[in-house]
Amino acid sequence: MILELAHFQILAAALFCLGLYGVLARRSAVMVLMAVELMLNAVNINLVAFSAFRDISIVTGQVIAIFVITVAAAEIGLALAVIMRLYRRRGTVNVDEIDWMKG
Amino acid sequence: MNADFTLLIPEFILAGAGFLVLLVDLLLPREQEHRRNAFTSATAVLGLAVTGVVAATTQMNTGESFHDGLLFIDRYSLLFKVLFVGIGIAVVVMSVDYVAEKMSHPGEYYALIIFAVLGATLMAESGELLTAFISIELLSFSLYVLVGLSRGDARTAEASTKYILLGAISTAIMLYGISQLFGVMGTTRFTEMGGLLAAAGDWDMTLISGFVMVLAGLGFKLSMAPFHMWAPDVYEGAPTPITALIATLSKAAAIALLLRFLAEVGSGAVHEWRMPLAVLAAATMVIGSLSALPQTNIKRLLAYSSIAQIGFVLVGIVPNTVIGANAVLLHVIGYAFTNLAAFTVVIIIELKLGKETIADFAGLSKRAPVLAMIMTGALFSLAGLPIFAGFLTKFYLFTSAVDKSLEWLVVVAVATSVISLYYYIRIVREMYITETEDESKLPVPALLGLLAWVLFAGTIAVGIYPAPFVDATNAAVTVLTPWVAL
Amino acid sequence: MGIEEAWLIPTYGFIAFGVIALFGRYLPSQGKHLSIIAIVAAFVTFWPVLFDFVSKGVGEYHVPRVWFSAGDISVGSGMIIDPLTIVMLALVTLVASLVQIYSLGYMRHSHKGHIADDPRIGWYFAVHSLFTAAMLTLVLADNLLLLYLAWELVGLCSYFLIGFWWERKSAVNASKKAFITTRVGDVGLLIGILILVAETGTFDISDIIYAVVNGDVSEGKTTLAAFMIFLGAMGKSAQFPLHVWLPDAMEGPTPVSALIHAATMVTAGVFLVARLLPIYEMAESAQMFIAIIGIVTALMGATLALVVTDLKRMLAYSTMSHLGFMMLTLGAGGFTAAAFHLLMHGVSKAMLFLSAGSIMHAMNDETDMNKMGGLRHRMPITGAAFTIGALSLSGIAPLAAFWSKDEMLLAIQDRLSPVFVVLFLVAVVLSALYMSRATYLVFFGPLKVENRRVHESPALMSMPLVVLAVLSVFAGFIALPLGGGYEGIGRFLFYGEHGHDFEFQPLWTVVSIVLATGGFGFGIWLYKSKRTTVDNLRVRFEGVHRVLINRYYMDTAYQWIVDRVVLALGRSVALFDRTIVNDRGVNGAGLTVLGMGKRLRSHVTGLFADYGLAMGSGVVAIALYVWLRSV
Repeated sequence: MILELAHFQILAAALFCLGLYGVLARRSAVMVLMAVELMLNAVNINLVAFSAFRDISIVTGQVIAIFVITVAAAEIGLALAVIMRLYRRRGTVNVDEIDWMKG
Repeated sequence: MNADFTLLIPEFILAGAGFLVLLVDLLLPREQEHRRNAFTSATAVLGLAVTGVVAATTQMNTGESFHDGLLFIDRYSLLFKVLFVGIGIAVVVMSVDYVAEKMSHPGEYYALIIFAVLGATLMAESGELLTAFISIELLSFSLYVLVGLSRGDARTAEASTKYILLGAISTAIMLYGISQLFGVMGTTRFTEMGGLLAAAGDWDMTLISGFVMVLAGLGFKLSMAPFHMWAPDVYEGAPTPITALIATLSKAAAIALLLRFLAEVGSGAVHEWRMPLAVLAAATMVIGSLSALPQTNIKRLLAYSSIAQIGFVLVGIVPNTVIGANAVLLHVIGYAFTNLAAFTVVIIIELKLGKETIADFAGLSKRAPVLAMIMTGALFSLAGLPIFAGFLTKFYLFTSAVDKSLEWLVVVAVATSVISLYYYIRIVREMYITETEDESKLPVPALLGLLAWVLFAGTIAVGIYPAPFVDATNAAVTVLTPWVAL
Repeated sequence: MGIEEAWLIPTYGFIAFGVIALFGRYLPSQGKHLSIIAIVAAFVTFWPVLFDFVSKGVGEYHVPRVWFSAGDISVGSGMIIDPLTIVMLALVTLVASLVQIYSLGYMRHSHKGHIADDPRIGWYFAVHSLFTAAMLTLVLADNLLLLYLAWELVGLCSYFLIGFWWERKSAVNASKKAFITTRVGDVGLLIGILILVAETGTFDISDIIYAVVNGDVSEGKTTLAAFMIFLGAMGKSAQFPLHVWLPDAMEGPTPVSALIHAATMVTAGVFLVARLLPIYEMAESAQMFIAIIGIVTALMGATLALVVTDLKRMLAYSTMSHLGFMMLTLGAGGFTAAAFHLLMHGVSKAMLFLSAGSIMHAMNDETDMNKMGGLRHRMPITGAAFTIGALSLSGIAPLAAFWSKDEMLLAIQDRLSPVFVVLFLVAVVLSALYMSRATYLVFFGPLKVENRRVHESPALMSMPLVVLAVLSVFAGFIALPLGGGYEGIGRFLFYGEHGHDFEFQPLWTVVSIVLATGGFGFGIWLYKSKRTTVDNLRVRFEGVHRVLINRYYMDTAYQWIVDRVVLALGRSVALFDRTIVNDRGVNGAGLTVLGMGKRLRSHVTGLFADYGLAMGSGVVAIALYVWLRSV
């Protein structure tokens, strides 16, 4: 079958939602970060697909995708550092347990 | 292809200043913490000040876009540039004593503040979605690190974690929205998008989801409901000067970007997004005000108060008129002065008394009468009582909304304003009426005291003599496409 | 020096406030003299303005000034000088001067054996100055934003002054009650202002009136705005049902009650309606509403004044009643009469309050009238002043308030149905009755043994009394054409094309004189000779009496509503703060809201996943909402 734009959109949406589920349901902070990565890559698929199917000479989507990959990498690095900090202070990376501040 | 890099000279100065601070920190011997603190903070202030002066003097009459609409260097971005630099200087000054006591990396701290200001400035200048995204990330990353920087207690680590995780989610959502918008319109430049949107008929789900998700991402930065829940925890856990930074810089930057985005892109299809945004504004005001009522921690209370204030700002954005935009900008200016003043007092209390609950303000009128007066002024301004900035700006905001049959929204706004009086006056009451056993005089650090005075004066100035500020906001607002002719 | 310099009049007060508040500590006597200087300066400055005004001819003068402008909205900070302004300026500066001089003597208490100033005297005078400055700004303001700003400032000062002795819990509660009740009214005022501004595009009062009168604003919007603005007036001028704060406000120092709760702040509402009367003339239902509320308030105040035993509270209810008269008159379009009565009542009532203060000062802050009696033997000046004031406000000729009451009666019977006239006359009788009751109970009859040591007040306090007493006797004559170009109050202070000459309608005048004198005399007779009859009456009408003593159960009613609402919501609330439970009586409405705040708190669980869920569901919900709107 011929792959059309819609297929990619659905794929991206599905991955995004899976990622969102992972973010909300996962207990380990590291797992949450992986889920966030999934969401960001879903965005990339969306971007590239849009760009490719509209007009292959306009590479805006791909350019944005590359930026997203870069920024995502930086974000993950930063987040891991923060999580390490948390672990050293609280002894856990279980997000369900970090609810000291509430209300 | 207008790639005139001279337009970006202030930004280059700012970036350079950031690195210079790091360099200074590196060059000074490690043991002399006091000297490091002094020199790095002085460099930071100098760098920020130079940026502000250069921008103000050279860009007063500029109205250009860099690279055909990637960045707009005009009166609008100039206003925010000066504001952000001012906020940066205030926060750095606020931090000097704080850093000496509670932190171990002064160089990184001040450098990150400068980078945060840079990110904010770029946000205000953005004319295109990718640029907007990157500048948001620059600001956010700086803030993520700053929040977790102190040797503080476990709350700091928790706040930092929640902030970055939720921030990552909101980034992902916003990016998805950007991709959707790009998919529908084929471009990410605001001016082009504006034209396409005005011509579009009914919005299909791709467009709606794109728009809403971009709004959600900005809403997170703004702490608009229902994306506000990170704010109280982060405000409470972060080092207080950084709380002040988040409350003023990041919010103002988000407003700058949102206003420009909605004006350039959304003006042609206002009927689509006006009502939903109005509902969100109402929800934000109500949730912010009500949740603030039972709070006992001053930083948390100020967080919720901030949330409510954002609701008021949205009331001015919703009508999408010149008056509304003017009111929004004026309110942002007044709000910056007011909040910074309040946080300065909170910092002084925290440094001298070591605590941050409302009960700790008891008897302040006797122990530090000047501080009590400044805090009262800030609180009265937030409550919207006359002679202070808040009265004028709120009045202005509400006026702009009544115009467009949004009277119901104004009623909600006025009602929540009255409710908010309670938690502001409660603090005033603690300061003036509650008795304490300890009546010793509270020593006020010179630098912080001076800063508090200046900010207090600013709050009153905007309230009594707004003319110069209004001239600036009007010049800023009439730069945006839908309002150029006026 | 003339009309153009009228802005100086409020400025002295602002400067005095700033100096005393910031530097009071370093000044002799905490700077109280600065305040006196400022207000006397204001009073003195008033006269050149008056002369300039008269020489230029009676009319409306504008002195515009732009505060800031943006887009197509320009906000001014200029002045309107018209007869109404002149009257208010005169009243405020005069009474404020006298009250402040009086305060010099009053605010001295026995402290460890010797008499000394109140420890916070500086702050007292500072707020006094600020209040007067704000009130003067309010009457001079030519645009609604400035007026609203001054309005709020006035309310803020009232809050500070009522709660001046905040060591007393009752005073703190009273000031909170006053602030909150008037704030509720202020919501209406703000919305009303915003509607008018939105419809006419300007804040300027004259421009707005012009637009409304010329039909530029739809009738619906006009009426709505009129109602909303009146809501604010109801709060400030203690009209039913927003009157509950006024009797409690008596917790403040008595000179404060004299100035703020008799002559100035409470008249702000009346002033506002009078200033905007052209708008009300266009919104008939709103005007009728004002008339109804006015007469209800008048009757309510009068009946309540009849049964209370606290002297100050009696005066508070009397004020409420007279404010009701003024509103009723405005409801009948009687601009001249209402403003005239505002002036006369202000003078006489302020004097009554100051007299009460004299008594309290002499009797160790006693206010229970039953503990007084025969005081005219010991305090002749105060006694004479009080009696004159009581006679004046009862409407006995030829004292001041008689003339204004007559004018009001004429205006009412001219426009409104006979029902109003009858009720008005009933209220007149009642006011004579309670006034005579009070006069007799306090000053006549036998002098109690324990009061034998009571003595007259020092000159600082009795001098203002004398001045006001003289005015109470003679001021009424300004109703008449007095020659020299002055043709009577009707020609000076009017609304519409031209004023009216002094009318003498024998029928109504005789009726009112008979009723007033009769009522007063009846009261004296009742209390003088037949004490037992009074007690019998009390027993016979016990039901009515109980209702009145309980203030028509209004406070209880408010409490009941709050209880039911709170109970319903409060079931899911976990904790109740001690303070909240204790403050229930005052923060009734606040409780409901606080309950909601606590419930909201339980949603913020601290778990980051919940925050994320909120965000995610928010996105979905908003997107659906937008989509469904366009479907």
